Amino acid sequence: MITFDIQEIYNILPQRFPFIMIDKIIELEPQKRIVAIKNVSINENFFVGHFPGNPIMPGVLIIEAMAQAAIILFCYNKDSDIKNTKTNYYLGAVKVRFLEPVIPGDILEIIITPVKIISNAAIVKATAKVQDKEVASGELSFALK
Amino acid sequence: MQEQDIETEIKNIIAEIVEKNPGEIMPDAKFVEDLGVDSMMALEILAAIEKKYKITIPEDKLMELQTLNKTIEIAKEYLSKSK
Repeated sequence: MITFDIQEIYNILPQRFPFIMIDKIIELEPQKRIVAIKNVSINENFFVGHFPGNPIMPGVLIIEAMAQAAIILFCYNKDSDIKNTKTNYYLGAVKVRFLEPVIPGDILEIIITPVKIISNAAIVKATAKVQDKEVASGELSFALK
Repeated sequence: MQEQDIETEIKNIIAEIVEKNPGEIMPDAKFVEDLGVDSMMALEILAAIEKKYKITIPEDKLMELQTLNKTIEIAKEYLSKSK
């Protein structure tokens, strides 16, 4: 099983500050499953406005965290060196249900498993958990261009 | 499984993905021109059929999913191979 830190995440993801939504990978089985961690801190900029006095992580950013973990799984699915090419990824469809609010101090665990992966696109199943409790889950499709 | 069932099921799968009524999906309507299917939806159709019938359709068949009839034909081809 592969695990890695932020340096390897930087090597794969095209996103940069302030839009890296995962901090480390704690489990990666190529073609099968990836588990990524996002530590949610009160210092996050978005908490200033979402919402004043009532900090809740925006659902769209949970989706972004799912998408970024999915990109890493996708890259490790390939035998080519796609992870060195800094391709652009586009979300095609998102169907996610939010079950619990994510708040400062939460350790968000993102689990991605493939539904279908082809050479230039993928559909994945995504689940987000905090302390083993499901906070969001759904399906994402994305493509490379 | 009855042939007719497969045809109806696939039509329903496609209808759900393109967000139309199954009755609107004509057998020879072109996915892209007539139903507004893009490459992502085509992949969703492929994945939904694979899941439903527990088959694997290779990636190079994706470009051939252009009408309901063609999709049914491909699904049946791989269903018979899996038996």
